[in-house]
Amino acid sequence: MSVDDISATDIYSECMSDTGTPAAKNLPPLSPAVFAILLALAGGEKHGYAIMKEAAEPAGGAIKLGPGTLYGTIDRMIRDQLVEETGFTDDARRRYYRITDLGHRIFAAELFRIENIVRAARSKALPKGARA
Amino acid sequence: MKTGMPLNRFLLALYRSSLRLYPWHLRLLYQDQLLQTARDAHADSNSNLYFWSSLFADLLKSTVKEHLLMIREQVLARPILFHALIFGLILTLMGGSAAGTFQQMLRRGANQPQIQMAASYAAEIESGVKPEQAIPHNDIDLERSLEPFAIFYNDQGMPTTSNGHLNQSIPSPPRGVFNYLRIHDTDTVTWQPQPSVRIAAVIRRVCGPNPGFILAGRSLRMVEEQETLFWRMVFLGWFLLVFLLVAGAALLSRRFQHRIPTPATGLR
Repeated sequence: MSVDDISATDIYSECMSDTGTPAAKNLPPLSPAVFAILLALAGGEKHGYAIMKEAAEPAGGAIKLGPGTLYGTIDRMIRDQLVEETGFTDDARRRYYRITDLGHRIFAAELFRIENIVRAARSKALPKGARA
Repeated sequence: MKTGMPLNRFLLALYRSSLRLYPWHLRLLYQDQLLQTARDAHADSNSNLYFWSSLFADLLKSTVKEHLLMIREQVLARPILFHALIFGLILTLMGGSAAGTFQQMLRRGANQPQIQMAASYAAEIESGVKPEQAIPHNDIDLERSLEPFAIFYNDQGMPTTSNGHLNQSIPSPPRGVFNYLRIHDTDTVTWQPQPSVRIAAVIRRVCGPNPGFILAGRSLRMVEEQETLFWRMVFLGWFLLVFLLVAGAALLSRRFQHRIPTPATGLR
């Protein structure tokens, strides 16, 4: 199953667990562009170019997003209720976006998944007692 | 934006025009933001060449992607209709192949009994029988009759004996046919000696004491009438089938519209 094949509501219910921890087990990985946008917006509201710049930084995923890729992805993320427009604008041509509650949960689930992978990889790749 | 350079202004205008390549809803919602982001990115860029090439590469890549995603969404929104169209396409291809094969069989069937006639007359003439004795003496009008006829041409391609006539004369096929038969034994052609007359002709090279060519032919009128009727029926059947498929699928799509969950498309 790919994320493309399930609805936002399905994703939401997948991410919710009884204990409140992100249930990432059944969630497919996010694409690098979606992850970079969620990562950029996790730090606060931003307009398109600010997202692009942050995504291009090493700490932001080092993803080179062109304007077309950026707004195409944002459009689908808005439809999936992962991000939304803030309504604030300092210029008619610069609109600000923020991450939604569902977006936060999806992002947390993805981080949880990556942490598990990194943990498993480290346990295989590094000798006992070694520190990354 | 470094708008001082005419080249930059030109490339930005080109980029603005190229935004028409995006699906209309995306253009409507994001055109201004796309342009502003491009301006901002250009203002921060160090290399003009790298900036513009990566901007247009992104434009091409994302345009294709957005159109593919739009098609995918439309297909997923109406799966019954989509499957009906695919089914209709498969049926059309299969039916078209079957109809084409049948039409070929019908046309090849029109070469009988000329194949047998040409072989018999050629064998007789090669054994020493004169052409005027081998070919029957009845008189067949090629324009009106459906009966098979035979014409003997001498080695120079001139008609000498025939029981078939067109406008009181013996017609001859193009010279190329005889040239072909000097290398090959037999040729099967559709021959049109005049606009209203089409003949299924089988021509054989004749050797021996009376060298030449023997042509056995028959009017294609009946066969072509059958073909026309056949294709009308095929088209009518195809049209009805596709109409029923699409109408049925459209009705079913409407009925089950609310039961099919809308897929999310945003995470890729």
